Order: sequence, then C-alpha cells, then structure tokens
Amino acid sequence: MKKSSFPLIRNRKAMVGALIVAFILAVAIAAPLLTSYDPSARVGRPHQAPSWDHWLGTTRIGQDVFARLLYGARTSLAVGFGAGLLITAVGTALGIIAGYRGGKVDEVISFFTNMVLVVPNLPLLLVLAAFIGQASPWVIALILGCTSWAWGARVTRAETLSVKQKDYVKSAEMMGEPRWRIMSFEIFPNLISIVGINFIGSVIFAIITQATLEFLGLGDPKVVSWGTMLYGAQKASALSVGAWWDILTPCFALAFLGIGLSLLNFAVDEIANPRLRTGNRLGRWQALIRSGEGRL
Amino acid sequence: MAFLLRRLCFYLAAFVAAATINFFLPRLMPGDPVQIMFSSAGAELPPESLQALKLTFGFVDGPLWQQYLTYLGSIFSGDLGRSIKYFPLPVTTVLGNALIWTVGLMGTATLVSFALGTFLGILAAWRRGSLFDVIVSVGAIFATSVPAVVTSLIVVFTFGFTLGWFPTGYAADPALDPALSLQYLGSVAYHGILPMLTLCAVLTGGFAVTMRNNMINLLGEDYIVMARAKGLSDTRVMLWYAARNALLPTVSSLAIAIGTVLGGSLVTEVVFNYPGLGNILYQAILARDYPVIQGQLLIMTATMLIANFIVDVSYVLLDPRLKRA
Repeated sequence: MKKSSFPLIRNRKAMVGALIVAFILAVAIAAPLLTSYDPSARVGRPHQAPSWDHWLGTTRIGQDVFARLLYGARTSLAVGFGAGLLITAVGTALGIIAGYRGGKVDEVISFFTNMVLVVPNLPLLLVLAAFIGQASPWVIALILGCTSWAWGARVTRAETLSVKQKDYVKSAEMMGEPRWRIMSFEIFPNLISIVGINFIGSVIFAIITQATLEFLGLGDPKVVSWGTMLYGAQKASALSVGAWWDILTPCFALAFLGIGLSLLNFAVDEIANPRLRTGNRLGRWQALIRSGEGRL
Repeated sequence: MAFLLRRLCFYLAAFVAAATINFFLPRLMPGDPVQIMFSSAGAELPPESLQALKLTFGFVDGPLWQQYLTYLGSIFSGDLGRSIKYFPLPVTTVLGNALIWTVGLMGTATLVSFALGTFLGILAAWRRGSLFDVIVSVGAIFATSVPAVVTSLIVVFTFGFTLGWFPTGYAADPALDPALSLQYLGSVAYHGILPMLTLCAVLTGGFAVTMRNNMINLLGEDYIVMARAKGLSDTRVMLWYAARNALLPTVSSLAIAIGTVLGGSLVTEVVFNYPGLGNILYQAILARDYPVIQGQLLIMTATMLIANFIVDVSYVLLDPRLKRA
C-alpha cells in the first residue's frame, strides 16, 4: 500500500512544471531580442508556410506567427497572473471573514458563494463581455476576478473553520487583539498553502478563460495574445485551407503553459503542506482546477 | 424531503439572480440601454416588433422596480423576446432547437466519461504506485490542464482535416431530411462522435482523479481490512466494498462537472460547427443579438440547475443518511 516510486515522480513533475513556466516567462520578457518583427504589422505574404524568414509561418494577413507567439505570451501571462491574484484576493478575504466571523455574516457570504457556484460561469462571462464590447485584456481580467472567486472562498472558509479553533487564535482573542489583526496575522499565514493552490489554479483558469473569450470573438482583436491568435486563425479558416501553423501554434503554447502550471501546483502544495502529502491533496487540487475549468 | 425542498428554493434564487444580472447589465452600461440592446435591430425590425421587444425586456415607463418586475414577469411566463438575427423567431424557439443537440452531446459525453473515469480511478487506486496509476494520474493532469478549445482544435485538425475520418461540421448530413430513419440516426451518430470524444477527453481525467483519491482514502478503513480477512476475492472487495462507498462523493463532484460540460460543449460546438447552444451563442455574439445572448444565460443556468437537482435527488437515493434527515 505504501507509495513506492511516487514521491520521486511527483518532485520531477514539480521541477518540470517550474521549468516550463520559467521558460515561457523568459521568452515573453525577451521577445524583442528573439524576433525583429512587429507582431501586428504585415511583414510577409498571407499564409506562408514556416520558413527561414518566418519560423512559424505567417497569418492570413501576413503577420509573423512566431512574433505573435512571443508577444502574445506577455498578454496571456499578464492577464493570467493579474486575474489570478484578484480571484485569490477576493476569495481568500471572503472565505476568512465568513469562516472567522460566523453567524449572519457567514450565512450571507456562503449564500452568495453557493449561488455564484451554480450559475454557469462561462455563459455569465460571455454575457458580461458581450455588453462591454471588445473587451481589453485588463477588462477581461477584472470581470474574471469579480465572477470566479467562489470556489476559493468556499475552500478557504472550510479551512478557516478548523484553524480558528487553534490555541494561538484563542489566546490572541483573550489578549484582545482586534479582529482584522487576528484574521490577517493569525489565520491568514496558516492558510498559505490553500491560498497558493488557489492562486495557481486561478491563474490556469484565467489563462484558459481569457483565451476562450477571445477565441469566441469577445476580446479586442487588435490586442496580440494567444486567444486573439486562435480567433484570427479560426476566422481565417486556417484549418480548412491547410494553414496548420497558424492555429496549432497558439494551441500548443496554451497546452504547454497549462501543463506547466498544473505541474507547478504540485510543488506549491508539497512545500507548503507536507502533512497533506497523502490522501486528499490531489483531490483538493483537482477540485480547484475543476472549478476553474468547471465554470469555463 | 426537506433537503430537496431547500435545494429547490436555492436553485430558484440562483435562477432569479441570473435574470437580475440580465436585467441590470444593459442599464449599467454607459449610454442608452435601449440603444445598446437593439442597435443592431434598427433597420431590420418593424417598429411595433421593436416596441414588443422593449416591453419583454422591461423597458417600460415607470420606476426601476416596475421595469424589473415586468422583466421577471416575461421570463417566468416563458417569453425571452425575439431573436434579432433570426427575426421573427422567438428566442425560446431558437434556443430550444439548439438545446436538444447540446443536451444530447453533453449527456452522452458526461455518461461515457463518468463511467470510464470512475473505472480508471478504481483501478488506479487499487494498484496505487504502479505504472498504470502513474499513467492515469499524469494523463489526468494533462487532460484537465489543456483548454477545451485547444483539445477541440487539435482533434478536429487531426481526425477531421488531416486524416479525414470524420466530418468537421453539422450534426447530420445536410442532404438528409430529419426523420427517425436508420440512415438519419446513423448520420447523427457519425457526426456526433468527434465532438463527443473531445468532450470525453476533457472530462474523463477529472472523474478518474476524484475517484482515485476517494478510493485511496477508503482503502485504509477497517471494513476493507475485514472484507479481506474474510477471504473475499480482490474484485469483490474492490468493487462491492471500496468502490461502492467511494462513488458517493464522486456523484456530488458530478454536479460541479456539469458546468465543465456546459462550457466545454460551448467551445467544442463552435469548433465542430455543431448546431447546439454554443454555436447559436457564437453566431449571436458575432451579430450582437442581445436577446439571444441573454436568453442563453438563462437557459444554460436552468439546464445546470436542473442537472444539479437530479444529482441531489440521486444523492438522497444513494445515501440513506439523508433520507432520515
């Protein structure tokens, strides 16, 4: 019954994940050094196959796919981490407040949390984005933050309920520490593993959702991101005319980043919470991812 | 019973919340909400139809609460307005036709991936740490972290365009008339197989991991040890003692997964040009057909709530403790 080769594989997973994310981050930062093309400019003939001049070919309107891939990574990463931060902040704050205060406050917050959980997320986002019109990446990050905090709040609340029974919280209460201080300095640091997992899960969710919204034509088509690359390629019927490089490039980039981040999630979980190495560790992670993709 | 009643009230509240969002959103946007919602209608709709459409969405003279009640009234009487793109078809007709395809696709994919994922999860947990377990676990990570759009596009590229094994659009051969004939149903199955497989690829991993972890938590329990000590066969202990109890939390995770299926089927339908809700929505977004976009949110919320309720009912049936409560 003991896990045999598993810890080794898990650590390897974590390392590979960190390497993937670091690689994409580095490439995004170094974009101007790696390509001399302007990602939005017309620099070649339409739908040229990959060649020495255009490593990943060109789009329907003659933009360099490789340059768009590099610069697009900046947008996708920025939105992913920005929205992830927002989702985590809102979810953590609401979860801790609901769990610690209890009573009426808890009832109200829990009711809203559960409600947000059952209203399907992607259709809701689509309606929001449709009214906003061609949503810029930052607007997308903002609406993601406002609509996707529920799972984090629920998980954080559950964890807060057990932490608040601990002696050090009781003693802080006895000493008359103000509530905000107890919540942010006694409880929050002890939830850091949940917060970390929530954060990476939210980043994955935000990246996927942003790409989906843009693919469906709700983003600003002038922005260079992996989602608008998909949108442009789909709109130009890249697959049926055989321009596989146009559409598979952002596909593999998104898949690569998604896998990297998921693997990284294991690392955070293990470092922050060795107690949870067996059993439900994977389950909680899975639930977070699911809720992320779940509402997509 | 009280449990189910409470859930029903909650779902009703959630549905009203979705309707409320629909009501306030155009009114919160800068500018004239009527202008925003019906600008694309301008030339196409006769004035009296536009007037009726405004009424449906609560654009009546009077205070805001009165407008809100008018809107809720039209929703609960089943009037979601008329589509601007497919005028004069009512939104309910447009969405109703599409809903059949989506529910069919979704339902099959959920059942197949639930069964397959659960089965893989049971075996992986039973042989924890084995090569099979590692393959299932790692495969599940990969499958769940790749966006549904990407999976769909890669599948349609590989099996649709490159290999040419399956059609890349429509729910059935457009040359055939819809009928309950073997030929037509065969065509539906042939067209549905690729989008269904894509959805299964997206979903199976999640079910497998949930089941695997539930099983692992249970395998240390005394009654499992007892069952083994009694000398029962491995298969019997695995399926009738462990899996049976591990299935319960998986059923509740099914409720969450329905959201995944809905979202996944949205993009999958767009990629496969499948005539379900997702594709209708995509067309509506391109045409700025707001009545359809808004109706979509309500229909999808309702679908999700009904599915959740079914899961609740089955939970009560599966868990005797809830029946007494």
